[in-house]
This record gives sequence, C-alpha cells and structure tokens, in this order.
Amino acid sequence: MADKLTRILYVEDEPDIQTVARLALETLGGFTVEICSSGSEALDRAPGFQPQFILLDVMMPGMDGPTTLGKLRELPQFASTPVIFMTAKVQPSEVAGYRAIGAVDVIPKPFDPMTLSVQVQAIWERCHG
Amino acid sequence: MADTSDVQAMLKKLSDGYAAQLPEKLGQIEQAWSQLPADHRDEEGLQTLHRMVHSLTGSGKTFGFALLSDVARTLEEYLKQIGQAKTAPDEEQRKRIQVLLSELQQVAMHREASDLAGWTESARTGQKAVSLNRIFVVEDDSALAELLKVQLSYFGYEVSVFGTLEDFRLAMQHNPDAVVLMDVTFPESEQGGIETMKEIQPGRDIPVPVIFLTAHDEFASRLEAVRAGGIAYLNKPVNIGSLIDKLDALTSNLPPAPYRILIVDDSEALTTYYAAVLEQAGMTVKTVNNPLEVMTPLLEFTPDLILIDIYMLGCNGMELAKVIRQLDAFVSIPIVFLSAESNLDKQLFAMGLGADDFLTKPIQPQHLVSSVSSRVRRSLKLRSFMVRDSLTGLLNHTAIKDQLDREVAQTKRRGTPLSFAMVDIDHFKQVNDTYGHPAGDRVIKSLSRLLKQRLRETDMVGRYGGEEFAVILSNTDGATAVKVLDAIRQDFSQLCHLAEGKEFSTTFSCGVADVAYFGDATKLCDAADKALYKAKHAGRNQVALAEAPVVTGTDFV
Repeated sequence: MADKLTRILYVEDEPDIQTVARLALETLGGFTVEICSSGSEALDRAPGFQPQFILLDVMMPGMDGPTTLGKLRELPQFASTPVIFMTAKVQPSEVAGYRAIGAVDVIPKPFDPMTLSVQVQAIWERCHG
Repeated sequence: MADTSDVQAMLKKLSDGYAAQLPEKLGQIEQAWSQLPADHRDEEGLQTLHRMVHSLTGSGKTFGFALLSDVARTLEEYLKQIGQAKTAPDEEQRKRIQVLLSELQQVAMHREASDLAGWTESARTGQKAVSLNRIFVVEDDSALAELLKVQLSYFGYEVSVFGTLEDFRLAMQHNPDAVVLMDVTFPESEQGGIETMKEIQPGRDIPVPVIFLTAHDEFASRLEAVRAGGIAYLNKPVNIGSLIDKLDALTSNLPPAPYRILIVDDSEALTTYYAAVLEQAGMTVKTVNNPLEVMTPLLEFTPDLILIDIYMLGCNGMELAKVIRQLDAFVSIPIVFLSAESNLDKQLFAMGLGADDFLTKPIQPQHLVSSVSSRVRRSLKLRSFMVRDSLTGLLNHTAIKDQLDREVAQTKRRGTPLSFAMVDIDHFKQVNDTYGHPAGDRVIKSLSRLLKQRLRETDMVGRYGGEEFAVILSNTDGATAVKVLDAIRQDFSQLCHLAEGKEFSTTFSCGVADVAYFGDATKLCDAADKALYKAKHAGRNQVALAEAPVVTGTDFV
C-alpha cells in the first residue's frame, strides 16, 4: 500500500483557477496544497514543500508546463514524483505526447471543482496500485 | 472534510466573482482584437489574444459557464490555425473572428445553475404531471361507486374503484398518478377519507388532486378537506355535470402544453444557448442550423413561434421569413428576428418582410424568455378566439366549415374516404325550459366532451350552432361513421344529468353523409343536414345515413 496522499503542489497562473482549485483540493479533498503561479516559482518552492504529487498547467506565460517538468526532473528529489498535466487541449495525440515526457495522466480543463479531488485521488491510487 | 453544502456556497461565491469579472475580461479581449493591425502580422498581439481566450476556455465551465468554454475553444482553435499561417488575418478570417467574439459575449450571459447548484438542488426533480385520464374512486357505497365508474367512463376516464381505504392506500404506493374522488365518511372513521389523504399528501412534489364527496356539508369538514389538499367538495347525490366541470377545470389548471419554438440560426453554439435558455423556461425547442433545411422541421414540428437569425449563409433570415409567410398554415405564426443589427431602419424594413419582433444580440436570457413567451401566449389566445367556441372549446362554425373545405379537397387528392356528421340534441328547448339554461349548457358541454373523448384525434368536432354539432371523420366511410356515432348516441342517452335535485337524461339525433356520393363540401353539408332531418322525423334518438343521390335521366342531358 502506498503512502496516503496529502501534499500536492499545483502550478497554475490564473488566480481564478487557483482559488477554485484550492477550495476543491483542500476544503473538499482534505489535501494540503501549495499553489505556485509560475514554473520558476514552483522550482523555487518545491524543495521546501516536498510534494508527493504535482499538478501542472500546460499553458503558462514564461515557462510552460512541459519545460517546468523537465527542470523539476533535473532536481534529484523530484526525479520520479508523479506529475499530472492540466490542460484544455485533450486531443489523444497530445495526451500521448504529455505521457511520453513523463506525466502520469492529464486532467482536462475546465475541470469540475466538485470532482477534482476524487479524480486526483484516483490517479494517485492508480500509479501506486 | 467540509460539508458539501458549505462548499457549494463557497463555489457559488467564486462563481459570482468570476461572473462579475467576465465583462472586463471580454472587454480586454475585444480591445486586444481591435488593436491588431489589419495590414501586417503582429505576432505578440495575436499571442496575447490567444492567451486571453485560452484562459476562458480553461475556466468557464469550472465556474458554471460551460458554453463560454465551448465557444472560447472554437475561437482559440481558429486563432491557432491563423497563427500557423504567418500572415495577417485576411478579411474573411477577421469576419469569422468577429462573429466568434460576439458569440462569446452572448454565451457569457449563460450561467448554468445546474452545474454549481446541482448538488443541493438535485432533489427538486422534474414535476411529473398527473395523468388526468385516470380516476381513483374511493367509496364504500358500492352502488354509488359503480354509478360513478360507469358515468365517468362515458367521458373517456379510466376509473378504478376502491371499496376500502386500505386498498386505496396500497394502490397509491404503486400507482399514484390519478385524480382521486374520495368519500369523506367510512365505517372505521367519520372523516376517514380526509384523514387518509392527509397521511398521503406530505412528501409529494405535487399534491394528489382530490375531490371529496360528502353527505354532510359542514364548514369544519370543508376546512379539513382543503387542508388535505382537496380541490373540490361535492355534496351527495353527486351531480355528474358539476363533477365533470371540476375535472375540466382541473385540466385547465395544470400547466398548458409547452410552447413549441423553432430556432433557425447557423451558429450551433448560439442555437444551443437559446435552446438551453428556452428549455429551462419549460418550452420545447427544435433547432435548425441550415436555413435551407427548414421546411421539414417546420411542417413536422409545427412550432408556435419561430426565432430566426438575420444573417445566415445561404439564405438570410428575411428571405426565410418571406418564404414561411407564403405558406398558408404559417400566415399568422409569430416570427422573431435575432440580430446584432441595432439600426432601427433596418429593423423596420425586416418587420415589413414579416417579422413580428426584433431582438438585438446579445440577448439577456430573461429578455428572450419573456419576449418569446408573451408573443406565443398572445398568438395562441388570439387563434383560439378566432377558431374556438367559448362554451365548449370546440371549433366554431366558421372554423369547422373551413376545415371541412380543406379536408374534402385533400380527400379528393388522395382518394381516401371521409364522412361528415351533423349532431343535434333532441328536445333541447325543453331542457332549457324545464331545468334552466345552466343545466342546458352543461348538457352541451357533456356532449362536446363525449364527442372529443370518443372520436379519434384526427377527427374534428365543431359546435355548429346552439345545440348542433358537426363532426368530420377522416378516413372513414359512411357505414363506419354511422356505427361510431351510434355507439356514442347510446352512451349519451345513458348519461345522467342533474338539475335542482332532479335527474334527467337526453338524446341526440344524427345525420351522416359520405363524401364518395357528395363531391364538394357544400353538397356534403346539405346531405348530412337532410339525413339529420330524416332521423328527427323518424322519431329522434337515432343516426341516419344520407342515401346516394339517384341518378336520373336529366343528369345526362
């Protein structure tokens, strides 16, 4: 049995989505969530927070999701931390592309705040199953 | 973990905040768009625009604006496509972007209540209408129960009788959709009927419609009956006429059939949006995206109102309205144009081409609903004044004659049979003189109801004059029509009418003519009238068939 999922890092540049995601994951899902507004902020704060699971928005100004993932993987403690991409682009070819660069799954945006934590939990259990 | 209703409240708040910011966001998008130069490519400007639209795609639905996400996605993909071309958007592309931007403005008004409030409101299921043809009679006096069953079944009601409250309770657990006729007093309790209804009513979305029957008319008991959801309180002996009146009133109290709206707009996102708004308001909606394909849905769906977008590819809204207006059946249908056009002259010009109203996009949902429903309501009301008889709701004299003309013409084209019948209540003057005009009116209503219930939906019934009715039986030859009407005649003669405590019954006579022998509507009418006269002359309470005219030598001269 895998560790219980408690600590999630969510990288998202939109303040609206940040708020609703915090509500969905913390209040409704009971997780501890650290939210970063950009890829570079995530790289700064991830080591201190020690997330078990990372949710990455794909399209962000500056450093986008895939680039952020690449940089995170360069840090030894995040070499294998599971990452989920959050994206509005959900063509199968694109999903396959994200998987190829190391994402465990893709959650399509816009997400449903009522079920987001359940989705995340399910993916967590699947990759630790 | 938090209570879901708390989360709901918080989400609602977030959604409110999002909604409040939307106009500003859309404004920024419009601005970014208008600042893009037309003559050369501005890579950075395009990207900014793309980003802003992308943000709507990814957030709208989360906050209850699903359609906003959909339209934004379409726009985003289009921008992406243009982005790959490496040139400034051309005229055509600019137009398309402009259209999508105005769609964004429109769908931004559409917030789905269900998405966010769904959890707390899901208990409020759609109201199911009670089947008004089924009646449960709960009565321990078996003779009275049987009488009610027989009398009501003449009017097409499906009646089940329960002799005890216990049996009734059981039936309500399984099959609750019925109007209940409930006796007040039962052997086990003086007010057993009322008490039982009080047990049954709580927890129902819509109360079971119940009519109480009683031998004791006391105020206290009436009050209790109302508290048990009683919609009427009738004294015994039961006057079938007033019972039928109550049942009729009950029918008209229920929501009328939903308004039928046809939407013609070549934008799928917008038709989806308008349809969602109108359906939420309880209307039935059919959408057509290709104006050239409007004819079939028009004829099959038979809308009460048509919403047409002015600017469409292939055939613009004004041309379409003209085409529709040239069809006889749609001369008076309300047509409402939807358009971004705010120029009054152009609007008036469009009205001249057959539009009744003009709604300028973007349209507030409430505005759309109220504008559409008030037009439909008025149009249906006017139509019913024009073609319906006020006492019976049947087609009036003019309308049934018009209908006969049309049906006869159609019959000839298709070579199908058709019969026409004239029905006249026997000695009706005596009914009025003896029992008074209200009793006479009730007899007329009961016959009209009987005819409507017993004939097929394709048959047409009209009130031809005072106590005279006309019936068009399509696809029916003379002999069959005689059989059908004779069965109705027998049942009508068995109906008990009650006036001033006295029971009476009446009969009718009927003349039938077959179109096979009488080639046009006037001749058919005359023949049915003559047959009616023959039936009256032969002693009334009978149905006579008009004989085929004898061909004499003079016909060949």
